[in-house]
Amino acid sequence: MTPGQTKETGTYRPYGADIKETRPYSPCRAACPAHTDVQAYVGLIAQGRYTEAFEVITSVNPIASVCSMICHHPCEQSCRRCSVDEPLAVRHLKRFALEKSADYRRNKRRLVGKTKNKSIGIIGSGPSGLSAARDLSDLGYGVTIYERHPVLGGMLASAIPPYRLPREVLKEDIDDVISKGVEVRTNCEIGRDVKLEELTKKHDAVLIAIGLSQSRSLNIPGVEGPGVLLAIPFLEDVAFDRRPDLGNKVLVIGGGNVAMDVARSARRLGVRDVSMVCLESAEEMPAWKWEVDEAVEEGVRINHRWGPKEVRRQEGKVQGLEVVKVRSVFDANGRFNPSFDNDQTTLIEADTIIITIGQMSNLSFLKDSPVKIDVRGRLEWNPATQTSSSKNVFVAGEVVTGPGSAIAAVASGHRAALAIHLHLQGEAVEGALPLQEKEKISQMPPEVLEMISREPRLKIKHLAPEVRCDTMTHFEIGYDEEEALREAGRCRGCGGGAVVDTQKCMACLTCQRICPYGAPVVTSVSEIRPEYCQACGLCAPECPGQAISMVSYDVKEISETLPSVVGRVDPKRQEPVIVAFLCTHHVGVFGFDLPKNVRKVPVHCTSRIDILDLLKAFETGADGVAVVRCNDGTCKYRGIEKGVKARVKRGQEMLGMLGMEPGRLELLSAEAGRGGNPWAAVCDDFSGRVKQLGLRAVR
Amino acid sequence: MIVGSQKPIEEIWSMVKDFKKVLVFGCNTCVAICHAGGEKEAATIASLIRMRAGQEGKAMEVNHMGVMRHCEPEYFDPVIEEVKSYDLVLSTACGVGVNFLSDRTGTIPVYPGINTSFYGAVEAPGFFKELCAGCGDCIVHLTGGLCPIARCSKTLMNGPCGGTNHGKCEVSNEVDCVWYLIVERMKKLGTLEKLSEVLPPRNWSTSRDGGPRRVSVEHIREYEEQEAQKPETAGGKK
Amino acid sequence: MKSGSNLEQVISSGVPAVTAELGPPMSADPHEVIKKAQQLKGFCDAANITDCQTAVVRISSIAAAAIAFQQGLEPVMQMTCRDRNRIAMQADLLGAAALGLKNCLCLAGDHQKFSAAGRLKGHPGAKNVYDVDTCQLVGILKKMRDEGKQEGGDPIEVAPKFFIGASWTPMADPVDFRPINLMKKVNAGADFIQTQGIYDIEGFRSQMAKIVNMGLHERTAILGGIIVPKSAMMLKYMDSSVAGVSVPKSLIDRMNKAKAAAGEDKKKMRELQEQEGIKITIELIHQVLETPGIKGVHIQAIEWESAIEGIVKEAGLYPRPTFPGA
Repeated sequence: MTPGQTKETGTYRPYGADIKETRPYSPCRAACPAHTDVQAYVGLIAQGRYTEAFEVITSVNPIASVCSMICHHPCEQSCRRCSVDEPLAVRHLKRFALEKSADYRRNKRRLVGKTKNKSIGIIGSGPSGLSAARDLSDLGYGVTIYERHPVLGGMLASAIPPYRLPREVLKEDIDDVISKGVEVRTNCEIGRDVKLEELTKKHDAVLIAIGLSQSRSLNIPGVEGPGVLLAIPFLEDVAFDRRPDLGNKVLVIGGGNVAMDVARSARRLGVRDVSMVCLESAEEMPAWKWEVDEAVEEGVRINHRWGPKEVRRQEGKVQGLEVVKVRSVFDANGRFNPSFDNDQTTLIEADTIIITIGQMSNLSFLKDSPVKIDVRGRLEWNPATQTSSSKNVFVAGEVVTGPGSAIAAVASGHRAALAIHLHLQGEAVEGALPLQEKEKISQMPPEVLEMISREPRLKIKHLAPEVRCDTMTHFEIGYDEEEALREAGRCRGCGGGAVVDTQKCMACLTCQRICPYGAPVVTSVSEIRPEYCQACGLCAPECPGQAISMVSYDVKEISETLPSVVGRVDPKRQEPVIVAFLCTHHVGVFGFDLPKNVRKVPVHCTSRIDILDLLKAFETGADGVAVVRCNDGTCKYRGIEKGVKARVKRGQEMLGMLGMEPGRLELLSAEAGRGGNPWAAVCDDFSGRVKQLGLRAVR
Repeated sequence: MIVGSQKPIEEIWSMVKDFKKVLVFGCNTCVAICHAGGEKEAATIASLIRMRAGQEGKAMEVNHMGVMRHCEPEYFDPVIEEVKSYDLVLSTACGVGVNFLSDRTGTIPVYPGINTSFYGAVEAPGFFKELCAGCGDCIVHLTGGLCPIARCSKTLMNGPCGGTNHGKCEVSNEVDCVWYLIVERMKKLGTLEKLSEVLPPRNWSTSRDGGPRRVSVEHIREYEEQEAQKPETAGGKK
Repeated sequence: MKSGSNLEQVISSGVPAVTAELGPPMSADPHEVIKKAQQLKGFCDAANITDCQTAVVRISSIAAAAIAFQQGLEPVMQMTCRDRNRIAMQADLLGAAALGLKNCLCLAGDHQKFSAAGRLKGHPGAKNVYDVDTCQLVGILKKMRDEGKQEGGDPIEVAPKFFIGASWTPMADPVDFRPINLMKKVNAGADFIQTQGIYDIEGFRSQMAKIVNMGLHERTAILGGIIVPKSAMMLKYMDSSVAGVSVPKSLIDRMNKAKAAAGEDKKKMRELQEQEGIKITIELIHQVLETPGIKGVHIQAIEWESAIEGIVKEAGLYPRPTFPGA
């Protein structure tokens, strides 16, 4: 399948991308720091167009495979399905699309010509550094990445435990970037192996994207000495398979996501007794709930509302941690300001204590450089230009934004790359960087919510806790095709629905009358309210002025691709050429595995098929045309059935007017449970009926 | 609005079959609203013609296009040269549009792609009803707001004939007897006594019977004429 | 006398008037008209000559009326608004008067789609005229006769003198309006009225009470319409399908009984029903004539003109009065 709109720069523009920029974003997209067009790629997955989904994903996310494993997916938290049942499993669908596109992706890697005659040095190869490297390479700049570790990826490679992020997955993302011609200097620490000054001399611009690579420690008695570890060095040991000796009992101090990585890694290093201690209650704890749940499944115990007081040692060997009861974590103003009940203390026994209470940057290499550090030890920077205090030295990622997510660092990397590009082209940077906050489609109105069938999300399968704790291998099992298609079909297509060309609209009310969800409001022209629109597509083919199009997978797109889908019709064929317009929601889950003479046109919903599409299929030589829909009980959209039936009936009448057998056009549906692929069976039956009617002459 | 309805494809085929390059030209106002001749239906008709041509093995280029209205030159002026590049224009506008365009396409014939039915309203989606005959001398203030000229099968002016059956017209039991409706409505309005007056024979010269009609809005015309007298815009509007 | 027609004279004399109906043939052969005229002559005061009834082409009303007139039967020329504009109508009226015709019944006419209720092809695609409606046509006749002027105002040297009639369907929808409808025709100048066929005497009498109350019976001569029933089927059809006609169940039952008495014998079935139909007709004539405000009966024996003689005699309406010079 050839993606329709790949620009020369390699940036894929999904169907309707330009219109989308003028309208409120789907909540999933608005929530993504990189503004990944989730609705577009989930929709493409639902149609079996996996490589196009891959293009949509990677167009804004160079660490897409990484994100498909570890992203905290704010898209899911903001999914409008949350108010119906459960959010789409977006991250898992992303994983499916990327896995399906593995070969496509490898074959696509190309050197990018260096057209700009300027070079950029990027310090750090984490998400923000890689993102900037890719963008700048695509723009034709020479890019060199400096990484202190022997492998690229920053924390992704050196701190995220492999059970969460298999390294071969990371490698795919990195290879995408590197293949563009990025120069790589690993084992090269700035300040140790190379001076910053050398970089600023060598390159036209330098980007500091070093992240937060140092763990903070605690200032309590007994903390110094063996048996007390810091998170990052521990995780680096895990990452590089250096298997530290932890004894029999491990206690992790901290309640964040890194603490979870540490605790769960310790379990996988063979420690049976892993516990955690944190200031916060279960509700207050900063780690994602699913991380906590998975850790608990793996036998990790969590001691809530205790603060570390002293590391108890006997003969230098760690005995445990004395902890004191927390009264409150936050003060009246909601600021982090813990208070303790000093009368209530206890000892948590441990052989090893790992401190995981936060990270900071190692900025020592900036000493005596023109890049200033503020009084609190942080890099001075201007968020409007992504610049440091020194000319030509730019900043990106957590080194300046503070701790956050990988995808937020990606967004920061994009901004910095754009800032560098503008700066090097002599253009103003201030005010030219895109706004992070986007207007988004509001929640679904209650009357629309009522019309949406409950359809729980497909569970993401994990290795059983007892199995997964014995190994560092990835614990999560990907969707198979059927699962992915089913899950993708749950998407309500927010923001991908109908739009009106007001130049063509004559306010005829057809859309308002036909819409099952009450989305269009016609005044002087029709306005289709995106918060109501469910993107079924029923209105577009009915518009008598052809004023309505769909933002995503427009009907016109179907029509345009028909000739290539049908292909050349062999005059000596034995079997009829059948064009089947397939609702992907239920038909597609059988992997589109239909008889060979059936040409497949997957559509988001059969209500989107235009009478013109049906005629076009015949024009292009089809002997028969089938509209293959979900049966009424399983249709994703309520209230569209009559419209589809009427359209097919009209098509049949038109065939009759042309002296053709109306039976060459049929609306097909099937009950699941006939065994095998029921839709393949009905298509086959239909094909037989068409054969009886005879094959059309090829002119 | 003007309501139109589609012509059988065979009739259309008989009109277009001898042309090589045909434009099905939609009109996106009245006839679009009634799903007869908007851009969408123009596209549909174009597709049917192509299929028909395919059946006959005729090489024919058939395209479609649409503009907001065929009855005002400003709407089709921007595309008129393209329109004229065809051998035949099959206009799916109402008869007004077909005529209007015919006067402006030089040697290119303009044929009707639909039937112009009547002035009607959208009684229900997809259902249109004739409610006015454009007779040029409205009297519905005397008949409860309902028109006996358009809606009585016999254009009776002084009450129903003897053919009213259960409120329906003798022509068809699907047609309401408008006089039945008029009487019921005027009873409700308390104005039934108005119907006692005998309306004398009508002057039909305001209707089609008086020959093709024109309406001239003087204050607009005067403005246009002043504009035309300015040398820089002279003739620019025709 | 407005016209001096026989019908006008009978009505003026106070004797209950009897009119019948003669349907011209779909043929250029005059003999059908002559034959029917002979059958009716002497048993009615005048006979309506229908004007392409049910929108089927037949010998024109004027021509058939002229033939009947030659046979000594006084015709009531019917004129519908369907087929002629006011120019053709007035021209025909002048011609009819010149031929000696003196009665004219004004009608809207069955719509061209009617086509003999589908039994014939007819001309459903014809263009209808309806330049004027019944009331207006009545007014035109009156203006020509009483003012000596055409509708447009031009003078008529020798004015046509017609006894002007109009039809009335007393019990059609909207029933409340029907008395007003009659009033309008009377106000326009209708000298006599022939009603749609009556079976429901109760309903008819209640409408007539309103007419009497309005004094319309003094200003026009209302002849109650009688349609001679031939069979139970015909009664049922008229009850369900003919506008303004409702047939009491008792009458349908009587016909059914007569039909049943014939057993399986088709011929007898017809005869017995016809006999019962004539009995019903005579009863209806009496009931109509007893209704206050009624000046006569209009008996329609559709395509059964030969029955009139017996009916009129049986009803005690024979012989018909005669007047010199009519």
